[in-house]
Parts: sequence; structure tokens; C-alpha cells
Amino acid sequence: MSLRDVLSPFTAWKHVIDDPVTIKDPFNRPGADRYRGFHQNDMDKCIGCGSCEEICQNAAIDMVPVEGQHAGPGDSGLRPMIDYGRCCWCALCVDVCMTGSLTMSNEYTWVDSDPDAFRFVPGADGKSWDLDVKGYQREDVRRLTGTTRAPMGEMPAEERIGNFCEIVDGFTPEQAVIEADRCVECGLCVATCPAHMDIPDYIAKVRDGDFEGGLRLLYETNPFSQACGRICTHKCETTCAAMHEGDTIAIRWLKRAITDSVPRERYFDLIRKPDVPETGQKIAIIGAGPAGLTTAYDLARAGHKVVVFEALDKPGGMMRYGIPEYRLPYDVLDHEISVIEAMGVEIRCNMRVGKEISIDQLKTAYDAVVLSIGLHQGRSTRVPGSEKAEAAIDLLRRITAGEEVPVPEQVAVIGGGNVAMDIARSMARLQKIIYGTVGVTVTALEELDRFLADREEIEEAQEEGCVIYPARGPQEITVAGDTVTGLRTWKVKAIFDEEGRFAPKYDETDEMIHPAGMVVEAIGQMSDISLLGADLTEQLEWNRGRIMIDSEGQTSEPWLWAAGDVTSGPDVIHAVADGHRVARSVGKMLAAKREKLQ
Amino acid sequence: MFSFKPDRSQYPAPGPDGKLEVDLETGKYLKLWHGPNHPGITGNMSVELTVCGDEVVEGKTHVGYLHRGFEKLMERRTFIQVFPIVCRVCVPEPDFNEYCYAAAVEELAGIEVPEMASWIRTLILEMGRFNSYMMAMGGISGALGLGVVGQWMTYVRDIMLDRFEELTGARIYHMFILPGGVRAHLPEGFEARMEEVLQTAERYLADAENLMFKSSVFKTRTQGVGVIDPALFERFGVTGPNARAGGVAKDVRKDSPYLVYDQLEFTVHTEEASDIYARTLVRYKDLLETIQLIRQILRKMPKEGEVMTNLPNVLHWKIPRGETYIKGESSRGEYGYYLVTDGTGYPRRVNVRGPSYTHAMALLEHLIPGTNISDVAALMVSLHTYPPEIER
Amino acid sequence: MREILYRLKDRYHLGTPTFQRTDLCFVTVRRDEIRAILTELRDMEGFTHLTFLTAVDWIEEQLFQLTYMVNNREANLSLGLRVLLDREDATGDTIHDLWPTAATYQRELREMFGIKFPGSPRVDEEFILEGWTDLPPYRRDFDTLAYSQQTYNDRPGRVTHDPKTHMQKTLYPSYPKGAK
Repeated sequence: MSLRDVLSPFTAWKHVIDDPVTIKDPFNRPGADRYRGFHQNDMDKCIGCGSCEEICQNAAIDMVPVEGQHAGPGDSGLRPMIDYGRCCWCALCVDVCMTGSLTMSNEYTWVDSDPDAFRFVPGADGKSWDLDVKGYQREDVRRLTGTTRAPMGEMPAEERIGNFCEIVDGFTPEQAVIEADRCVECGLCVATCPAHMDIPDYIAKVRDGDFEGGLRLLYETNPFSQACGRICTHKCETTCAAMHEGDTIAIRWLKRAITDSVPRERYFDLIRKPDVPETGQKIAIIGAGPAGLTTAYDLARAGHKVVVFEALDKPGGMMRYGIPEYRLPYDVLDHEISVIEAMGVEIRCNMRVGKEISIDQLKTAYDAVVLSIGLHQGRSTRVPGSEKAEAAIDLLRRITAGEEVPVPEQVAVIGGGNVAMDIARSMARLQKIIYGTVGVTVTALEELDRFLADREEIEEAQEEGCVIYPARGPQEITVAGDTVTGLRTWKVKAIFDEEGRFAPKYDETDEMIHPAGMVVEAIGQMSDISLLGADLTEQLEWNRGRIMIDSEGQTSEPWLWAAGDVTSGPDVIHAVADGHRVARSVGKMLAAKREKLQ
Repeated sequence: MFSFKPDRSQYPAPGPDGKLEVDLETGKYLKLWHGPNHPGITGNMSVELTVCGDEVVEGKTHVGYLHRGFEKLMERRTFIQVFPIVCRVCVPEPDFNEYCYAAAVEELAGIEVPEMASWIRTLILEMGRFNSYMMAMGGISGALGLGVVGQWMTYVRDIMLDRFEELTGARIYHMFILPGGVRAHLPEGFEARMEEVLQTAERYLADAENLMFKSSVFKTRTQGVGVIDPALFERFGVTGPNARAGGVAKDVRKDSPYLVYDQLEFTVHTEEASDIYARTLVRYKDLLETIQLIRQILRKMPKEGEVMTNLPNVLHWKIPRGETYIKGESSRGEYGYYLVTDGTGYPRRVNVRGPSYTHAMALLEHLIPGTNISDVAALMVSLHTYPPEIER
Repeated sequence: MREILYRLKDRYHLGTPTFQRTDLCFVTVRRDEIRAILTELRDMEGFTHLTFLTAVDWIEEQLFQLTYMVNNREANLSLGLRVLLDREDATGDTIHDLWPTAATYQRELREMFGIKFPGSPRVDEEFILEGWTDLPPYRRDFDTLAYSQQTYNDRPGRVTHDPKTHMQKTLYPSYPKGAK
């Protein structure tokens, strides 16, 4: 033991004059810039999807309704309430947040004598740190749930343009599982879907590879799941939580993946008619489109006798005669309808009500009549020469029916909706087959980003060689003798007036002539209501040219209901929802009638 | 000089089951609870001592004061939900849990981690080692009455916690190393502020050296005391500085390099005496090495790159059936996670292998008989144990 | 690793090994051979370090899996030996004479899983729990959530809402959901 060892500890004394290192005012020591302190939540950005609640390992988060936030498209109206007695500040809620609304401030010193003060809704219950910029937020993109859509095969434009084969391959089961994995199961989409399909539940079935279970779920809410898996307007995807920071979940293609993955003959085992007693009551349905057949499906499964009267020679309505084959192949539709027929629904084709049979006869012979005749008459622009124009909906029907249609080298289409795209692309295919080139011009009043058609429809039409002129108003269909020579348009300055009424204004100096051997009008359709007859038309109540119905689809006549495009529109899934609604209303009436008889 | 040579022959021999039968009625023996509230105890643990005079006849470790059944809790949580609770298994050096768990999940789920994340993980582990050693240095000094060193070390640890705070967003439970990477890049100006901390640490450590390794009191109390025969190392699963103090250069960072340790240069320090002094000295040297390592990492790490990879949707993340064991060199020795998955969204079993499990139980109980009461605290602390690793 | 397994394979019954990494392998062995294998690995093959010993409850298969992890530091190899025990009256063979530290592991397994290790020192002493009378808590059939709900009270006043159901109630209460 040396003397040095005895003396060296005394060197500690040199610190005796040092300042203390203690933090003198700990309450005003700011946390680090990315400190994980009390939460902040941007109320406008938050969509109440509940992913934060789902991931919280402490069960510290409750989703609660708050003042000033209402449920609406893509927003549940709920907001996370955090119990700081349980929160462990791990910030997984921030990392998983689908919109990036939930962040954390760097405030950590707040104290209160009331323990319940530590349970509040960040962003709604105002706190001093609500506007603090510092604190934890995701540095990176969202990593905890997928942001990119799984790839799907599709025919390239040059291959698909010369034929009517289906364009989209659909997900393979493997691709579907990958895509389904991204869903966070918040269910915001369910409210948006007109038929309120159980979207997260069937996506979960895809994820588990249980396609048959998925199919059963689909048919609980939609007997046109195969069609909707292909051509649904998929408004659900506009409210998907995933869209805020990444691709929206491909809900429509996942639905299709389910229907494609189950062998067709298995459908009849999986979708069985429930074992219910026959009621002996009979319902006539006019029109075998999605609304009518959904009504038929529901009522037949409830034990009623259902007969569907279809004017054309095959059932399906607009799904067959409006939507081109490259989007919805006919064999898919045939199979879909055969599942409905398996419920005992009788479909009588080539039975035009008002011709082969009168509506009065139906009224007498059946307990209830459902009118689901759709919109099969094209509207006209009524510009000079428009009597020479073709109606898109009529042309599409003739193409489907295999009738000969004239195919000039140049075609001009008026309209910016899906029907316009359908006819433009159909004509383009026919041109390609005959001439080897495409010559289709599409003009519409709206700017391109305001077109009513689906985005992919527009893009695909352009890929296939259709030339789109947005913001152009038709002025005249030019004619030489009996033949159409083109379409004259003016630039649109405004479509609506100050009060929001339809009153297009044009820039007359900006004129274009689109040469065309055929001009097609695709600016909307209307119903052919002549079948009602004068008396019934007189008796019924009307609302702006449409039959007035109550919230359940019943007209002012106690025996007559109306469903589908004829009353609401504008697509298959709305028609399906209508069908369910009407079926329930009809069912209630029939039950009351049965009770009376007993 | 003070010497203590107990004569074991006067006490009854332990029975075949390891139990010592002593008759307390004779008044010759006394039961003494060393902990759980005792300044010489690291954490919430106690040693039940049987003493005769000032000599310890038997010691039994008691744990369970903070048992929350972490391993069982993990079985009820999804793979991502386990991430916030693993760090709680070890307060002073929580990052090892985060790293081992994340690496185990990544291995079984087949996830590649970006290189940048590996560097930041290494940095964090070394920062954690730094803090843990600071506690060990302060602890051993405290156990021997050198409270001032404890205060210095606490201060230095505190300014390192400031660096943790700005890097990870939290001071103690950092919750920063996620499966898939880490949460963020280094904040701006981090290197300079870290350098300040390291220089402060070096200054304080130089002072501490005068009070410890150059102090006659410290030497007297630690040299030749609490010697672990290196022959016991393997039988008692001794790892880390406890083994290195006995001349065995065990260090997982060298023996089985993980993260980016194969790209770093560092020395594994050893001593021969295997006593309290040697163990403390090994830690001290390793601490200085860690300071150099932090500098080296900051110098060598890439300046940009992703820190996190895309995970499958964690809300319903399933991992196929499998098992793995991930280990690393913590400040106390081999630390590891044994993860068993069964194809569901939840771990089937998570087992935490903490070095304290063997050091504070079997080894300590083996070393205690025959020591002087006043040395028990120093002996315990010199093994550098954290009780939560024992009871998890 | 493979050579070691080849050497063992001649004399012992080994299951199909899982080569998890180049330095880590798992293999199932028979209970009556575990002590011999461990002894041979320790004394002949350089696996001198018992890393850990723990159990996994495969309740669906009515089995406990004991995992003995041994390590050869020189060769940087870890070998996980699995021994499957019948879950009913599960009993393992003590290895405290090979590694004294194993006694602690076996004591914990006795307490947390109820696996017996006859002959292991102080194996029946309480380890972590005090006065525990319920099922051994690390068994899969011990429900920690139910236990905590019985033992502790939830904070009153908490209620949560499912977004989907909430939207259905507020936005479309009358829609015939699930119409058949």
C-alpha cells in the first residue's frame, strides 16, 4: 500500500467549489424535440378509424363520440380518448395512425390532483400543448401497415383493343392475400357501400385464405358479388382509411378474387336456399336487372313465389346490355343469375309488360308488383342534327345482342360518364377489328378531372386510342344529305349559373369541328314508362318525372314498388341495395296480409 | 492489516439437497435480511443471510418483488404489441431487450433490416452499456461508502440520458428499436453533443479512478475479496465482465459478432485476480472502451439511408412456427431472447436469458458462505446484477 | 455442427435437426438420453456453457418442451436440445450435477410450469411466487387476463365504440343489414 494510494482520494476535494449540476427548475425544462409526451390529435385530419385503439397494448384508448365531429363519408365521427393511467408512451398509436393526425407533444410535466383529468380526448379537450410543434411524430412513412397496392395483371392496351376479352386478370389468390393484409379493418367503408357489405369481414376471409367463407359473407349482402367484383363503382374505396397515406385497398378486386377462387359448381352448395316454409304468396317483378333480381333473390329465400318478367331475350338488364363484355364477361353474369334462379326465382324473358302481358293482369294475379325497369332510353342533346345521332345505350344493347351496327372510321361521342366511355371503347374495338385503327373522339362539358366516369375508365379509354376533348359543348351535328359528317363544339366557359342551375356558357370563338361518320349521345338515360298505361300513370304520384317512392321503395299504390335506376341509380350496387330495401318492405306487407287471413 | 479467515469446520455441513440446517434456538446464529431496501442491493432483491458473529454462514437469494410475469404477458400480445414491454425487463439497460426481441422476430419472420438501422442499434446498445457501467461504478463505490463517486456517475449517466432523450424520445424506456429497424435518424448536431458528454464522462472517470483504483481503502476492501475461481465459470454460466476479470475473454461481441461489431475495432479487457477489484477494473476499462466505441460508431456510420423497413400489417401479423435464440453482450454478460412462434399472431413463448439469473442466484449463493457481513454488499454489487432479469 | 450431430446420431436417437442459423441448431432428443448427450457435449464437444434451460407449453399436443441451450464458445456454436415431456405429471431429469446453475432453472420450471425435477436441490422452495395456490402460472391454460379481472377492478366509466357499428347506428339504422 503506497502513500499515493492514501492521498489520491483527497483529489475529490477539488470539486468542492464546483457549481451543483442539479436542474434548478425541473418544471420548465423542455422535453427533447422528439420527446414522447401527451398526445395531440388533429380533429379534422382524424377519421376515427380506431387503429390506435387496436394497436394499443395497454388498452388505454377508447373511441368515443365527441362534440362537433359527425359520422360521415370516411369518418366515423369517433375520436380516441386516452387513459393516461394506462398509456405507456410507446407511440405505436402514432406510428400506426392512418392519417398522421395523431402525434405527441413534448410536454410531460403536467400534474393535476384529479386522476380523472388524465383521461381525455386529445385535440377535443383543449390542452396547453395542443399547438406545440415539438414532440414525437412519425419521421418516416407509415411502415406498420402496407401502403402500396399488390400488383395485378392486366392486358396492355395494344393487346386488348382488337377484341372484347376481359381486360383485368383479377388478383391471383396469392396476390389477394397480400392485398388483404393491408386492411386495418376499421369498417369505414361499410357505411359508404350502398349495400353496406361486410367489407372488412370478407377481406379477413381472403387474408385467411378462406375464399368459400368469404363467398358466403358476400352473398349475405349482395347476390351480384361477381358482377360487383368487376364493375362496381367501388365508392367504398373513396373512404378507405388506407388512402390517406398510400393506396386505397383494392376492395373491388378482393371481392372478385373471392368469387373467382370458388369453383362455379361450389356456389350452389355454399349459397343454399334457407329452409323456410312456402308462403304461397306471389310477387311479380318487372325487369331482370340487378334491382329486380336482388328483390327476387331475397323474396324467394323468404319462401315466396317470385316471377321476373324481362322484356329482352336474356336477363341481366344493364349489366348485360349496358356494360361491355370486356368489363363483365357474359358467362360470369349467366352464372351469377343461375345462382339466383337456384333460389326458385322464375325468369320469363321476352315478356314485355304492356305488350305480352299488361300491368293490370300482374296486379290481379300477384300479391305485389315490383317495377325495376331501369333506364333504357337515351337522352338527347337536342342540338341541330341530333335526330341523326345514335343513343349510346341503344348501340350498346345492339352490340351485346349481336346485331349489326354501323362502324364508321371516325366516331364522335358526347358525354363524360361511364356510358360514354363504354360506347367509345366498344366502338374503338369494332373499328380496330374492321380498319385496324381507332378513330374515336369523346367530348364532354366538364373538365377532365370533373368527369363522372371512373378514373381508370378514362385512362384506359385514352390508352386504347380514344381522344378526349374536355370542356366542349355540342352545338350541331353536321350532316351532308343523309349522312353525318361531324360534330361542332364550342369551348365551355361555365356549366352552371350563379344559382347552380344547369346553364352552360360557351366561348363562341373557340370552335372545333370533330369529323365523324357517327355521333353518339351518351349524356344520360331515362325510363320507358309507357308500360304503366295512362290510368296508372295518372294515379301514381310523381316527383320531377320520377315515380315517387317512400324510403322503402313503395309507390303511392299499395301493391306497387319501384327499385333500381328507375327511382334512384346510378349503378349496380345502388340497385342491389334498393332491391334489399324493397324486398323487406314487400315482405312486411305480405306478412301483414298473411296475418289478416289467419 | 485486516484479515478474515473463517474456520468452516465449526458449522454444520449442508445437506445433500443443499440446505443448511442451523438451530436458531442456540443463539449462535442470526437471520439477517439484506434487502430489498438496502443501499448495497442492486434493485429489488434480497439476500437472506444466516450469520454467526460477523461471518456469513449461508445466503439465499430472494426475488419476486417486481415480478409482473413479462414473459407470460408477451404471450397475450401481438408481435408488435410486445415491443413496448420488453424494455421493462431491465431498467438500467433496456435496449438489449428491444434489440434481442426485434432481431428474433426479424429472423423468424424473414425481415431484412436496413444497414443504417443496424448502426443506430449498435450505437444505442453502446450508449446503454455506458449508462449501465456508470450505475455499476456508482453502485460498487456506494456499497463501499464512496458515495461521492456514485453521485458523479449518476450525473454523467443523467447527461447521457439527455442524449437518449433526444435520440429516442424517452429517457429510461426508449422503445426505439422496433422489429424492422429503428424509429428515427440521429437528430441534427447529435455527434457534437455526444462528444461533450463523452468528454465530461472521461473527466469524471479520471477523478473516480483516484478514488477507487488508486485508493487504499478501495483496494483493501476489494483486493482478494469475493474471488471466483475461474474453474467455476462454466459450471455457473458466468459470462461478461465477471468472467473477464478471471482471465476468460468471453465477449459475445467478439465471439459471435452481431449487428455491426465485426466492422468495429475494440479490445476485450481481462484481469486475472477474479476478485471484486478485478471485476470493477474490467468494467472501468470496458467503459473507457465503450466511450471509444461510441466515437467510432458515430465516425463510421453511414450518413444517410433508411432506418426502417416496411412491415406486414402489424395488426394481424402472423409468424410461421419456429424458434430461435438471439444473444448479445450486455454490460453484465450474455443477454439473449429465446422466441418460439407457433404460426399465430402471438408468441408461443418468450424466454429472457439475463446474466443475472445465474450470477445473482446460484453463483452468489455459492460465494456468500464464509464472507464477512460487511463484504456482502460489495460482493453482490461486484457481480453487477439486475433482479428483473431473474424474475422477468 | 453437422459433424457433431453425425457423431451423436450413431448412439442416440435424434430428431430431424433444424438449422436455424449457421451457429444455431435445434434438435429433439429422447428424455432418457438427454443427460448422456449433455454430458458428452460438455466433456467431449466443447459445449461447456449452459446458456439457459426453459420450457414451452404445447398444450394442444399435451406436451411440454424442455429446451436446453448449450454453447461452444470456441467454435461459436449453439445447440438447442428439445425434450418433449407428457404434460400430465411432467417430470424431467435434473442436470444440476452437470451445471450447478441448472438448479435455479429447474426450481423456476417447477414453480412456473409445474414440471418436477426429482433430486434437484431446493427444487420445491418458492422461487418468485409466495403462497401461490392456483395453476402454475406459465402454463398456457392459466388465463392471466381472467386472473387480473378477478383480482383487480377496472377503472369505472370507460366505454368504447366500434367505428363500423357506430356508423351503422348513426348513418343507416333502418337499412336491412344482412337481408336474406
